[in-house]
Amino acid sequence: MTTQAVLQEAVTDEVVESKSHRRAKRPRAGKKSVGMFLCILPFLALVFVFSYLPLYGWIFSLYDYQPALGLSGSDFVGFQWFEMLVRSPTQLAQITQVLVNTLAMSFLGILTSFLPIVFAVFLNEVKAPWFRNVVQTLTTLPNFISWVLVYMIAFSLFSSSGLVNSVLTDSGIITTPIKFLDSGDHVWLTMLLWSLWKGVGWGAIIYLAAITGIDPALYESAKIDGAGRFQLMRHITIPQLMPTYVVLLMLSVANLLNNGMDQYYVFQNAFNMKHIQVLDLYVYNVGMTGNNLSLATAIGMLKSLISVILLVVVNLIAKRARGTSII
Amino acid sequence: MKRREFLAMAGIGTLASVTLSSCSLISGDSPKAASTSGAFPTTWKKEITVDVFDDLANYQGIQSGWFAKIVKDKFNMKLNMIAPNVAGGGETLFNTRSAAGDLGDLVVLGSSQHLDEALKGGLLLDASTYYKNMTSVAGYKQAVTKTNPGDKGTFAFPTSVSKLKPTQSSESTEPTFGPYLRWDLYADAGYPKIGTLEDLVPVLEDMQKSNPKAPNGKPVYALSLFKDWDGNMMNNAKQPACYYGYDEMGFVLAAADGSAYESIIDSDSHYVRSLKFFSAASKKGLVDPDSPTQNYSTMYAKYQAGEVLFAFWPWLAQPAYNTTENMSAGKGFEIAPLKDMKIFSYGAEVYGNSNYAIGIGVKASDPERVAAFIDWLYSTDGVYANGSQTGSAAGPKGLTWDLNSAKKPALNAFGQNAFLGGGTKQVPAKWGSGKYADGVSALNVTTVTAVDKDPSTGYSFAYQMWPSYQKLIINPLTKDWSKHMDGASTTMEYLRDNKKIIVAPGSGYVAPADSSEIQTLRNQIKAVIVADSWKMAMATSTKQFDSLLKDMQDTVKGLGYAKVLKVDMEHAKEQNKTRLEVAKKFG
Repeated sequence: MTTQAVLQEAVTDEVVESKSHRRAKRPRAGKKSVGMFLCILPFLALVFVFSYLPLYGWIFSLYDYQPALGLSGSDFVGFQWFEMLVRSPTQLAQITQVLVNTLAMSFLGILTSFLPIVFAVFLNEVKAPWFRNVVQTLTTLPNFISWVLVYMIAFSLFSSSGLVNSVLTDSGIITTPIKFLDSGDHVWLTMLLWSLWKGVGWGAIIYLAAITGIDPALYESAKIDGAGRFQLMRHITIPQLMPTYVVLLMLSVANLLNNGMDQYYVFQNAFNMKHIQVLDLYVYNVGMTGNNLSLATAIGMLKSLISVILLVVVNLIAKRARGTSII
Repeated sequence: MKRREFLAMAGIGTLASVTLSSCSLISGDSPKAASTSGAFPTTWKKEITVDVFDDLANYQGIQSGWFAKIVKDKFNMKLNMIAPNVAGGGETLFNTRSAAGDLGDLVVLGSSQHLDEALKGGLLLDASTYYKNMTSVAGYKQAVTKTNPGDKGTFAFPTSVSKLKPTQSSESTEPTFGPYLRWDLYADAGYPKIGTLEDLVPVLEDMQKSNPKAPNGKPVYALSLFKDWDGNMMNNAKQPACYYGYDEMGFVLAAADGSAYESIIDSDSHYVRSLKFFSAASKKGLVDPDSPTQNYSTMYAKYQAGEVLFAFWPWLAQPAYNTTENMSAGKGFEIAPLKDMKIFSYGAEVYGNSNYAIGIGVKASDPERVAAFIDWLYSTDGVYANGSQTGSAAGPKGLTWDLNSAKKPALNAFGQNAFLGGGTKQVPAKWGSGKYADGVSALNVTTVTAVDKDPSTGYSFAYQMWPSYQKLIINPLTKDWSKHMDGASTTMEYLRDNKKIIVAPGSGYVAPADSSEIQTLRNQIKAVIVADSWKMAMATSTKQFDSLLKDMQDTVKGLGYAKVLKVDMEHAKEQNKTRLEVAKKFG
């Protein structure tokens, strides 16, 4: 072997080595990202399975689905169910009423979302720990009672032969029972009151936690400056809770259409039906009670559509108000 | 719990809206070969538990008591009842099970729509090979042929079949519908003559005033309504229409003789008339304010406690209130005839009740045994035992009744206790355990009507029609009633003698299934009709009533009422045509 050849070999070796070195380096970086990817994979899978896969179910809205025949045996009907929703003014009015109910009750919920703050702030001012704990426990408990049981309580209290009516009749204040439950008046309001009774104590917990996180120095310096108890609340506690409040508010706006159905399901009857039917309940009544799963799917899709519209609107507002968009 | 009775007795009418064309068999599994040729085996070696999917059942779980004992002894089999009525959730259970392709080993379907879907979906087994051995069912061949048209096979067995003429009432001693009121209080009011429906209001008002509190201290109301059975319309408001010979077909009220057809929402329909009657009663404070919120069992308890004075049906009020104790004190519910009434009566069904059907599940583990069991249900023994719940058949011979010295059927001591004495006695050990009522068949389906005659005794399966029973139950209440009813011994006798009943021949007519569009419209419309009807029934001023009525009429018209009505109208007329044909053929 000549020197030249040896040199050349050495060079190629070096090149090969440096190449293989580079190759070895790359896989190491790849391993790291694969690892990272594997970490988020379960979450991606969850999102896919629970958020994207169900979209396949939208196909039911294009069929006249009959469970015994299966999807393949059912007739394909195209957009028949969608047309049905908007065919006549009465039909449209019914859907509109359902949407109005949904939005109205959601907005009432948002409007009263400051109540847990107020409750938390006042509760925090109670100096006797045993009393505070008792109050907190008692107000949190309703959150763990299911709506069915809440309705049982409501029924035994407010039905025409319930406690309230019995007491009123027996004491001679009224002669015919007052219809609390089977009446179409003030449905939104009574529903709001029930959900407040159930939710305020629970909603206050997060604020109570936030209050303990407020820097005591703020209070001390305010006290030195001569602030009274209410001034402390107004100028320190509440402003300090605002960030938490805003986050929760945003979340509840996002959930505008999801005001649940169990509450309205248990309270519904012939008299309050018009004002109590929210979107989810309407879908249930059409799909399960009325046994038309295809139409129910079509109405359910409406919900997604409106959610997207709401998101865009909120985004626009946020852009105007804060200069940055949230999506 | 009394839903079963209602389903059994008034089912044809209330479920008529959801009907089908039973003629469209698209698929069905090819029959599995029977293990034996010739008759069914008489003993079965291996004990099995069969799943019974039963639309009509009101009990879920393993059948217990004396009926279970009979089934075990005869077929070495346990019945595991699957009951949508108990499970709740409407159609969910049927839908999920049929989507899975297996309803159960034994299937009892509660609507012709379900039968249609089960046939199309291939969920029922073709029982042709077993049918050859089903000697009891064979006695009702024309009904079986009608249920399984064409020669595609034998998939379903008819229910409530009868060997009586279709122009004869299927009811035994009491009609299905009728203005029943507390006879003792009616007597106190001086037996006022009642001209027409509206005249009931002052009579009931008098009765309520003279008896404002029940023995338990609770207020008494003349009327107590409930919502459980609302379908195309408010169920309670349909009942008075039946006093005038009408029954429902979707949104149509059709006269039994085909002489008139009404759209229920018309201001002059019998349906709106009933609502006006309720409203008039509400105005006088005669309607229980719990009505819109209570369910059947709450209301039933009120009848038992004597808190209600009027009933639409004898089979609701009499079992609840006419106990031996009350009747011997002269208290109880009896019919108080309206001068102009002509009560609707369901004629015997030669073709069976086409809305309900029995079948064998396509995946049944032992189809032969299930077929043998079904056959037994149509036999004399089977009718006595299985019909004891729905059709008031007498129960198994030897347990509740025997032949007396004159070789006539009569309730024995145990039977008297079970049917008249509150059922306090335990079933003899030979027949299993528990009380009689706990052991009745949970299938809740009538195979052969109880008014049919048992060929071996010459009397009907229903003990209420036995002369021995009639003698047994004479008491101050029935005596007084009979005295004022020209000496009639039973309600049906009085109604027939006075031409106050009109029989709609049992035609076995099955309206074709709604198209999905009509079905959807119907569901939306009926929700509006039911909700507004309740408001009207409870309305206390004419102005309020009229505006609600107008509102309802406008809304349902906007939703497409006319389209659905047209379909129902055609069905009602078609039904009348088949009634006439059947009457002519079997006369």
